[in-house]
Amino acid sequence: MADLVSLKDVSKSYTAITGEVVEAIRGVSFDMHEREVLTLVGPSGCGKSTILRLIAGVEKPSSGSIERRAAEGKFVVGYIFQDSSLMRWRTVYGNIKLPMEILGKKGAEAKIPELVKLINLEGFEKAYPIELSGGMQRRVAVARALVHDPSVLLMDEPFTGVDEITKEILQTELNFVIRSLKMTGVLVTHDIEEAVYLGDRVLVLSAHPGRIVEEITVDLPEIREPVIKTEERFTRYTKEIREKLNLLHPLRLSRRPTDAPA
Amino acid sequence: MQNKVVRNLRDQASVLGSLVVGVVVWQVIVDYGIIPSFLLPAPTEIVAAIFSSRVNWWANIFATLREAIAGFVLGTALGLLLAVAVTASGIVRKIVMPYIVAIQVLPMVAIAPIIYILVGFNDLSRIILTSLLSFFPVVVGTATGLADVDVNLVYLLKSLGASESLIFYKVRLPNSLPHLFVSLRIAITGATVGAIVAEFVSSNIGLGFLMTTALTSFNIDLTYAAGFILTVIGLLLYGLVEGVGRASMPWFRRR
Ligand SMILES: Nc1ncnc2c1ncn2[C@@H]1O[C@H](COP(=O)(O)OP(=O)(O)OP(=O)(O)O)[C@@H](O)[C@H]1O
Ligand SMILES: [Mg+2]
Repeated sequence: MADLVSLKDVSKSYTAITGEVVEAIRGVSFDMHEREVLTLVGPSGCGKSTILRLIAGVEKPSSGSIERRAAEGKFVVGYIFQDSSLMRWRTVYGNIKLPMEILGKKGAEAKIPELVKLINLEGFEKAYPIELSGGMQRRVAVARALVHDPSVLLMDEPFTGVDEITKEILQTELNFVIRSLKMTGVLVTHDIEEAVYLGDRVLVLSAHPGRIVEEITVDLPEIREPVIKTEERFTRYTKEIREKLNLLHPLRLSRRPTDAPA
Repeated sequence: MQNKVVRNLRDQASVLGSLVVGVVVWQVIVDYGIIPSFLLPAPTEIVAAIFSSRVNWWANIFATLREAIAGFVLGTALGLLLAVAVTASGIVRKIVMPYIVAIQVLPMVAIAPIIYILVGFNDLSRIILTSLLSFFPVVVGTATGLADVDVNLVYLLKSLGASESLIFYKVRLPNSLPHLFVSLRIAITGATVGAIVAEFVSSNIGLGFLMTTALTSFNIDLTYAAGFILTVIGLLLYGLVEGVGRASMPWFRRR
């Protein structure tokens, strides 16, 4: 299958308000295969959101190149953000419809009811974001990202800040939605379990500036149920990622604050 | 829906209650001679003055109301235009903003003579003066609302190929509505004050004119009567703006 997105040796630097140049990512290369979910996992500030902005084309790389191809038609992304980022002045329906308006797709609204059903929000079409729980708002954000049949789905920590119980439900729902729509996606997270649970391939990033330190192929069934998180074939992957992130290194434990009691 | 109506009525009732308590306390203070009535007439005396005086209240109310509303509309329109210009271009902001602030910090009684000399002693100059007291909050508030948007929404629209003007229309403008309505509430009170001060300086009709003429002839009751009516008008205008704001932003969380 063809690659939809290819990053070749991409670096990105920002000029901070102080004038200092901050290198967010360095020499990042990877390909996104069709119908695959790629997850990027790494510590805070390692440039995960930056990589998504580059793929979306809302920012340009400082060096390197990014190629985008659509499986059919024009390349367009679906975008889910670290917070749900809904328009508070629009209803659930109005929020989901937004990408259609921007792309000028007429008549395509016919599929919104189907999508609302898929994300379990039937009956809430006319509700405003303030009337929804955090979990429901995330679902709306998912629907908004899918409504225009994007070539790739960009998911930036879609469930950060959601309680554990809701998060498990939402993850399972998202996995199901992505698979049933045969989507290609890249998911950014600092949740190691989530990276394995939702990914076909996990790219582990180093701390700032972000570089890819490991690529792990996740050999699990496409549709996943929460129970898999307790199985050995799953925890094998999470352990490997923890190792790559140096989280199991004993040095961490010996580095106590100097004023800690002896 | 019915819940909403009940809640709204309860809100209105509590506003009214607060005003009634204020008036009763005032009446008691004067009745018990804590403040002599030649300095502060009792509410009953003020109401009596309204009905006993030969003043044509409706004509005066109409004159002041017309200046206040025309000034408010002009000031708001000007404020909105400036807010858009200031947000759209950093250069415009640097050039225009100092003048906007300068106009605001100059006392109106200092600007008034200049405007009267430039425009003439007429309605238009009074409306311009009134608009000067209402445009500043609109510029600052709306500009804040236009700029202070969720950057992710801007990314989302950009990723879909939206132009800056489409982003303005779909994101910045609706995002500025809560800020705009806060500004409008300040602007409408500013416009009421503006109309009165404009009348203080030069006029032959209106509540401000009545207040000054009554004061110079030591007719304290009549001064207070005009002030009382002015207050009622101010409250009604404020309530109207707030009501329109609530009705047009059901999605906005209050408190
Ligand atoms: N607009 C910007 N101006 C300056 N520096 C920026 C800008 N955007 C990002 N950075 C810097 O680039 C680095 C990577 O930021 P990014 O938001 O991509 O990290 P992240 O991996 O998504 O972090 P988190 O997990 O906390 O969301 C950070 O050090 C950040 O300070
Ligand atoms: Mg991020």
